[in-house]
Amino acid sequence: MPGWLFSRLLQAAATLAAAIVVLFFLMRLAPGDPLAQLAGERQMSLQEVEVLRARYGLDQPLTSQFSAFVRGVIRGDLGTSISQRRPVTRILAERLPATLLLGGTVLVLNFTIGIWLGVLQARRKGSRADRWLSTLSLTGYATPSFWLGLILVWLVAVRWHWFPAGGMVDPLRSGESGLPRMLDVAHHLVLPVLTLTIVSMAVTMRHQRTAMLEVLGADFVRTARAKGLDEGPVIWRHAWRNALFPIITLFGLWLPVLVTGSVFVEGVFAWPGLGSLSQEAISGRDYPLLMGTALLVSFTVVLGNVLADLAYFYLDPRVRR
Amino acid sequence: MIRLGWSRTALKGAWEQPGGRRGLLLLALIVIVALVGPAFLPDPASQPDLIRGALLPPGFGHPFGTDQLSRDVLSRVVHGARISLSVALLAVALSATLGCLVGMVAGYFGGWTDAVLMRLVDGALAIPRLFILLLLIAVWDHIPLAALIVVLGATGWFGTSRLVRAEVLRLREQEYVGAAVALGAPRRRIILRHLFPNALAPVLVASTLAVGDVILIEAGLSFLGLGIRPPTPSWGAMILDARSTLFTAPWTGAFPGLAIVITVVAVNLVGESLRDALDPRRL
Amino acid sequence: MRAPLWLVRVGLVAFPSLVPLLTRSPQAQGVPADHGTIVIAVGTLATLPVPTVITGRWNQDVSDLLFLKLARLGPELATGGDKRFVPQLAKSWTRRDSLTLVFDLDPRARWHDGTPVTSRDVVFTFRRTLEPGVDPQRALLLRYLASVTEEGPQRVVFRFSRAYSEQLYDAVYHVQPLPAHLADSIPYARFATSSFAQHPIGNGPYKWVALVPGQRLELVANPDFFLGAPKLDRVVFVEARDPEAQLNLVLSGTADALENVVPVTNIPRVAENPSFRMLQVPSFTVSYLLFNQLSRSDRSLPHPILADSLVRLAIALALDRATLVKNVFGDYGAVPYGPVAILSWVRDPKVKPLAQDTARARALLRSRGWVDTNSDGILERNGVPLVLDLNYPVTSAPRKQMALGIQEQLRRIGIKVELVGMEGAAWNEARNRHDFDIDFSSVGLDPSPAGLIQSWSCEGLSGTNVGGYCDPRVDSLLNQGIFARKDALPIWRRAVQQIEQDVPAVFIYAPIYAFAVHRRYAHVNIRPEGWWAALGEWSVTPGQQLERDRASP
Repeated sequence: MPGWLFSRLLQAAATLAAAIVVLFFLMRLAPGDPLAQLAGERQMSLQEVEVLRARYGLDQPLTSQFSAFVRGVIRGDLGTSISQRRPVTRILAERLPATLLLGGTVLVLNFTIGIWLGVLQARRKGSRADRWLSTLSLTGYATPSFWLGLILVWLVAVRWHWFPAGGMVDPLRSGESGLPRMLDVAHHLVLPVLTLTIVSMAVTMRHQRTAMLEVLGADFVRTARAKGLDEGPVIWRHAWRNALFPIITLFGLWLPVLVTGSVFVEGVFAWPGLGSLSQEAISGRDYPLLMGTALLVSFTVVLGNVLADLAYFYLDPRVRR
Repeated sequence: MIRLGWSRTALKGAWEQPGGRRGLLLLALIVIVALVGPAFLPDPASQPDLIRGALLPPGFGHPFGTDQLSRDVLSRVVHGARISLSVALLAVALSATLGCLVGMVAGYFGGWTDAVLMRLVDGALAIPRLFILLLLIAVWDHIPLAALIVVLGATGWFGTSRLVRAEVLRLREQEYVGAAVALGAPRRRIILRHLFPNALAPVLVASTLAVGDVILIEAGLSFLGLGIRPPTPSWGAMILDARSTLFTAPWTGAFPGLAIVITVVAVNLVGESLRDALDPRRL
Repeated sequence: MRAPLWLVRVGLVAFPSLVPLLTRSPQAQGVPADHGTIVIAVGTLATLPVPTVITGRWNQDVSDLLFLKLARLGPELATGGDKRFVPQLAKSWTRRDSLTLVFDLDPRARWHDGTPVTSRDVVFTFRRTLEPGVDPQRALLLRYLASVTEEGPQRVVFRFSRAYSEQLYDAVYHVQPLPAHLADSIPYARFATSSFAQHPIGNGPYKWVALVPGQRLELVANPDFFLGAPKLDRVVFVEARDPEAQLNLVLSGTADALENVVPVTNIPRVAENPSFRMLQVPSFTVSYLLFNQLSRSDRSLPHPILADSLVRLAIALALDRATLVKNVFGDYGAVPYGPVAILSWVRDPKVKPLAQDTARARALLRSRGWVDTNSDGILERNGVPLVLDLNYPVTSAPRKQMALGIQEQLRRIGIKVELVGMEGAAWNEARNRHDFDIDFSSVGLDPSPAGLIQSWSCEGLSGTNVGGYCDPRVDSLLNQGIFARKDALPIWRRAVQQIEQDVPAVFIYAPIYAFAVHRRYAHVNIRPEGWWAALGEWSVTPGQQLERDRASP
């Protein structure tokens, strides 16, 4: 096992390295300049821009900027954000929990409700419930998340005042901690989670349904049924475990969604996570912040794939070689 | 010829399923409206009356109402259909071509070629697509439509290449390829005759579904202000424009949004029915 | 494993009822009846509201609450002479001669850590501001300031190299003093990241509490503020980048005030909410279509199309500015005359800009050789089509909407306008690089007309005058205006008139901002030159306190 795992990790590292190089040079190609954003309101003269450019080392050739960056990463230093003038790592650390919370909740809902509904559809294949659920999930998938978010905000937050319209916490209850704060955050979490879940659940449901259908038709299930086992264990113990594999793959693919946290939804709901941060960083040409975010995202993707492979390994004896 | 018969079978199979039939009809309707509609509708860029004609609710002269600049919403939705559909189709065609090429090369030649290519694909897949798009488009000052299509196409082929490669690997092992090689058939012909048509089925399905994805992505980019430039109508851009008036004048944003939902649903219905029709167990 | 869907559904519905019950904040005792809290929704949260490292209006707004100037502008916003200013850190000033001003600081002024504000603080801050590389923009504005010296702990002496009427304005308006005892040991290069900058100690009506970047900035009242303790005990700025999100914060009751309700179609939604009052705040902003009169590829050559003043005039005549402003801003905008803000004391309300005259515009273009030879709707001359790029930042919704209107109006006389919407950074870069045909600029002007030199004089060519406009008559008039002893007004107005006639730009709108403020506040004062600077004067009408007002800070 260790040999296989080791080579897998090596692969992951190589992938990450390739992603970093691509990202770095992609971003340096941008015609905008992070300093121009600072100058935005005042429309600074070129001399002022030059002074600041030198201060941030942006007048060095590309290759030396890159090596400086790589050295920094190894040290754990991702540079200083140009628009916020603070260490990038700190900014990422501040925004990461919000995205993890949002994405994590969506993930959990997806993989509990989504799976359950997918299995339900497979079991009742062809029935009215199956068709309705298919239609609903397809419609949810086809709906643009930003559009759905806007509608939900208007209806639920502005019209009916059930949930807050944006933000992560009530701005006045800053000193709270513990249970009241958790509940406050949860209150603000509902609408963004609902939006993202509706839009993404379709994929999970569909995959699970297909996978389950394949498995249900398989011989070993028929054998289990023939042996007189109850429907419950047949479904959940025997069939479902095998239908899990596409879901595990999906899980690996979902991790980037978890981290980017849907740029659109975070924007509509003013949710202070990494998704909205990356968009701000791009329009501000804030190179260090952008690189840091991209690094974090790529890292989680690679991590997700490795975890998915590990899960495969433990679940499927055939992979153990 | 396998090819012609195969595509006829696919469409027939899709048609025979209830979801597929609805999808095909809906899609046909959308395409017809997109092609023919603009001839009967006012210029989508024209702003007849900025002061009194803006934000008119749906009514006699304007079935979908007007927007903030007194432009006719129906006309913009229909012209937008043309744009969104062609962008998506072209981008997906590009993705499919690239994906097939890379997948075939990797699957057939194997060895180092395969390893390097798939590593590259893995690396690209590690960066979420929206991120790459945001970065690439930021490189362009004002991205022309052609470039947008190329960028969309160039970021969507990774999954297809994996798919094609897997098919190629699978088919390579099958008997008739061995037989053909034993009989002395040249490599190229083997690929084209045997591997290519068979690997095409999953690619077609994936591509059809990808059209829906690209429509959503393009709408999202336009919503962020990064996609199709004004005054060219695009559904996502219309929702962005309508954002401020979504509640005071809901028709400005409701119709483009619905257009997206209906089109993507139609495309997906067709795609899924194609997939069921092309299921190897039924062929 | 029966996934309990019903439980999830119940939970989702139960939340709204549970949360308020479980999160009630404690009632505070002894909060006076007219005290309260204010939550302000803003588009961008301040990140570094500290003098000498301030960038952007949002940082300046917060800085105004933390740091005082020596004096502030009076209600007429006059910038000339020595009399029409209101004392703040300086309680009085006298003039020794035409080149020397002496300020006596208010001995009651204290930094938030209790230390008195002294002349050393003022001298230090000016020295820091004028260090090379720190703030070239302000250094340019202070170019006639020869020295700033201490004369005892409470007296500061300003010496100028030339006599002009805005000496006092320059001395007090541009620089907010920093506490020397805390800041002078920190070199400028490390100042922005220093612990002082993260927790600034000021001398204003409000003290720093905390900043959660991207979410919330909190300030608390300074009970020892020497000009009167504020009645609003807490000020919280909340960020929502998106205009819809901002509006929703207000309409759902989370925010008490919203600066700049955009777009104009949202104003009725707030206005019809009985809890809110709308205020119109005229601005110092002017937006204009700036023509690039030099070639984009080679600055030594004139622009092939726009160097021709009659073509520029034709474009100005083709536009129906009043309609465009009405469409985008409703009643919340005006058409400016020249690069002069609505509030500028130089503004002449009797003069009107050119009205639309498409017939004359077409005739002018024809007279300059622009004809549509191939009937494609676009004019040509010598085979060159009349196509121009209009650059604008996509982040500005009003400019985006108006650009579409402009594109259409110019299309009708045969000019094809390509809309080039760029991200804020890229747009600014293109502007500074002179890589534009027409740039949709929007500038927040200083209250003093002396700022016109930066963008509209030949002197400004090396700086912010990116269009390449140069008219020596204007330069001479601007300089006369600065140094005029009396009757500067007619000179400034003539300068503005000359600028308007030269058509280096089409001055297209001056916005009037719409503020939404909760009705319970009294003594509401929003200053145009610093919107929230007067929060220290606000209070809550007794009997209308909300729960958030009663919570102790």
